Amino acid sequence: MYRYDEFDAQFVRERAEQFRGQVARRISGELTEDEFKPLRLMNGLYLQLHAYMLRIAIPYGTLSARQLRKLAHLTRKYDRGYGHFTTRQNLQLHWAQLPRVPDMLVELAEVEMHCIQTSGNSVRNISADPFAGAAAGELEDPRILSEILRQWSTLHPEFSFLPRKFKFCVIASDEDRAALLIHDIAIKVIRNDSGELGYRVYVGGGLGRTPYLALEIGSFVAKPDILAFCEAILRVYNEAGRRDNIHKARVKILVHQIGIEEMRRRVEAEFIEIKKTGVLELPAEELARIGAYFADPPFETLPARCEAFEAAKRSHSDFADWVKTNVAPHKMPGYAIATLSLKPIGKTPGDCSSEQMDAIAALMNTFGQAEIRVTHEQNLVLPHMRSSDLFALWQKLVPLELATANHGLVTDIIACPGLDYCDLANARSIPIAQAIAKRFADLERQHDLGELKIKISGCINACGHHHVGHIGILGVDRKGVENYQILLGGSGAEDASLAEIMGPGFDTEGIVDAVENVIGTYTDMRQKGERFLDTYRRVGAVPFKERLYAR
Amino acid sequence: MQILTANRLKLGEVAYWNQGRWVSRLDEAELMSGAVAEAALKGAGEFVRSGEIVAPYLFEAHETAGRTVPVKVREAVRAAGPTVRTDLGKQADLGKKTDLGEKTGLGKKTG
Amino acid sequence: MLVKLEHGRARTVEDLFVAVGDDESLPHGAIVVPLKRFLAETTPLLARETPLGVRLETGDTPQILGEHIHRLALIVLHVPYFKDGRGFSWARLARTRLGYTGEIRVTGHFLKDQMAFYARVGVDVFDIAQNIPFAQIEAAFSEISNVYQPAFDGRATIRELRAAKRAAATISTS
Repeated sequence: MYRYDEFDAQFVRERAEQFRGQVARRISGELTEDEFKPLRLMNGLYLQLHAYMLRIAIPYGTLSARQLRKLAHLTRKYDRGYGHFTTRQNLQLHWAQLPRVPDMLVELAEVEMHCIQTSGNSVRNISADPFAGAAAGELEDPRILSEILRQWSTLHPEFSFLPRKFKFCVIASDEDRAALLIHDIAIKVIRNDSGELGYRVYVGGGLGRTPYLALEIGSFVAKPDILAFCEAILRVYNEAGRRDNIHKARVKILVHQIGIEEMRRRVEAEFIEIKKTGVLELPAEELARIGAYFADPPFETLPARCEAFEAAKRSHSDFADWVKTNVAPHKMPGYAIATLSLKPIGKTPGDCSSEQMDAIAALMNTFGQAEIRVTHEQNLVLPHMRSSDLFALWQKLVPLELATANHGLVTDIIACPGLDYCDLANARSIPIAQAIAKRFADLERQHDLGELKIKISGCINACGHHHVGHIGILGVDRKGVENYQILLGGSGAEDASLAEIMGPGFDTEGIVDAVENVIGTYTDMRQKGERFLDTYRRVGAVPFKERLYAR
Repeated sequence: MQILTANRLKLGEVAYWNQGRWVSRLDEAELMSGAVAEAALKGAGEFVRSGEIVAPYLFEAHETAGRTVPVKVREAVRAAGPTVRTDLGKQADLGKKTDLGEKTGLGKKTG
Repeated sequence: MLVKLEHGRARTVEDLFVAVGDDESLPHGAIVVPLKRFLAETTPLLARETPLGVRLETGDTPQILGEHIHRLALIVLHVPYFKDGRGFSWARLARTRLGYTGEIRVTGHFLKDQMAFYARVGVDVFDIAQNIPFAQIEAAFSEISNVYQPAFDGRATIRELRAAKRAAATISTS
């Protein structure tokens, strides 16, 4: 993974000190809240319902054991002993206090971490495939470009006061494990007909009040041109994006207002101008230099089949269940990608205690894992496990409540913090997730239902990604009472689609039954081999609406 | 009736207005109506300027059987803490179980 | 207070320009007029022998000035509210693509913490409305020592500094 050099380290230290000064000016009254708010947002500090919330950047979701231990320490020393992994691969601490945040930033800087641009109208965390470097079929590690984009976008003098937030995502395989097309700029590493690697660039994805999937704007951008191309898009957006209405300010609105053809014309004109100057050309040697940080770890030559692993599955059905959903094939024989579910039945999805963080860091050392990944589905991934170690790992995960065998199943729910924590929320999302998980807890039933992605947002800002849930749930405020709308048929994978709203919402008493009705419609109508999403796409919304609203 | 609330600048925690001072517990908040509430909101400006609190606003609440009950769930949550972690927030820190009332019970009729 | 940034140093300067509105009569000497007036009275304004400045609002691209931009001594970028970040692009555009070499001044509502960004993209004078101690203003330009991306100010980027360091290390070990 990327390692800071002295320049990166100095940068985050100075940034922490700069924020210390800004906090002091706020507390002394020199800065009003209006003046301070954008400054604290640029350092990921929100004021939420109960306390300040600090959003810590986890670039492309990659953490070392040392960083994980520091995060555990921070939650104990400065917060309430737990953190929440988000749908943008970051970590949120919900109980921060303003005067102590500068010290937290200093401690983060010690382990090459920061909170820069995790909020505000700037380029946010660059997200990437959590299976980077491990999945077969990947053209190259998408984190190479992600790291280059991260540096280029950090405290960019021209683009720190955009009309609105701006999110990037990079993947490098046909499988989309990062919800690529819901990002403002989405980049897929591809190979052209000449066999050359380059980038397909999409623009204008985003959820919220008006969700859109990103549209292709550059079918093949050569590697040396990618920064110039991205800068061109950002410049067109900064100059022309709407600033009169916060709900109409994302680049997706501009793209749909002027059309993708006009957007492409403007971006290409700007791109040509930038390219003439040559200042943003990305040299091959820089790509190679950054690429070296993401080289394969020293893999052993192992047999494809591990007898001990197979025997453990035969003798421990619980372990076999876990492997079935939570272990994915690795590009190297004898290795595997293990997903640690942060969705134990009845607990808060995505939450992780300091004890769990420390235990995971210890397991990383035990099993020689240099990195752990955070996924946008709020789970953790150990990308390079030896198959021969999986049983021992699982045994250790069980008492830690990190071995829930539900990855991709109905109880692997994405939920934003919602009205239990968030100042923007209209309804609670976590208790809904918990109730649904409890209703469907039976593992046999979960396996029967198969892949079923439920995503819950507590407000229209859609941090729970409900628009791309197979079943999406949107919490609203209906005359002061929490109400939940059901949307069906969304997908954040390579078959991306936006979910459709079914009809009037349900109250907290009725929503779980409603979800059960939806799932019942699926099981009644499914054909062999069909996932929920497949059945929905085949039969359409009508049967589901009929069952939901039958009197 | 209206209650005036804000967040404390440094701690970020919820505070309520009671006759010109800021208290931590919803059951100590002053219930006001009409002009009194508006005057209180105006008076809060001084505490914004002095840096004690941020973002003051009024919300509706009733007095029911000796309890202060906010109309909106949001205010019930702000008064108590996360409903999913009853070991955190005012409900735990203030040492007295803060009654959320029927507003936040999952599976119970609301409204 | 007008603060000018020159060769990386900040100093207070006098305002040599008089701001003139849409309809006021034009005094002698250096003046700044709103864009609308400049476009309406281009020829007579350019015929003046004293320095001329044009004030752009945040929706006005400097490209509107066309070739005349090179005849201007001053471009004033008015920012109505700090969140409006278009001025950064306008300053950059004026300096790079349009090759403008006169003074670019930012006025209106902007934060001390934005000044370093404005400076990087080519703003050289800051019309500061609040009472900010001069030491703080100076510090604002140097709080973050190094930069990741190239900009008009031509500062060496961290990538370039790294390359220089590697080259130096190679020399010293050879």
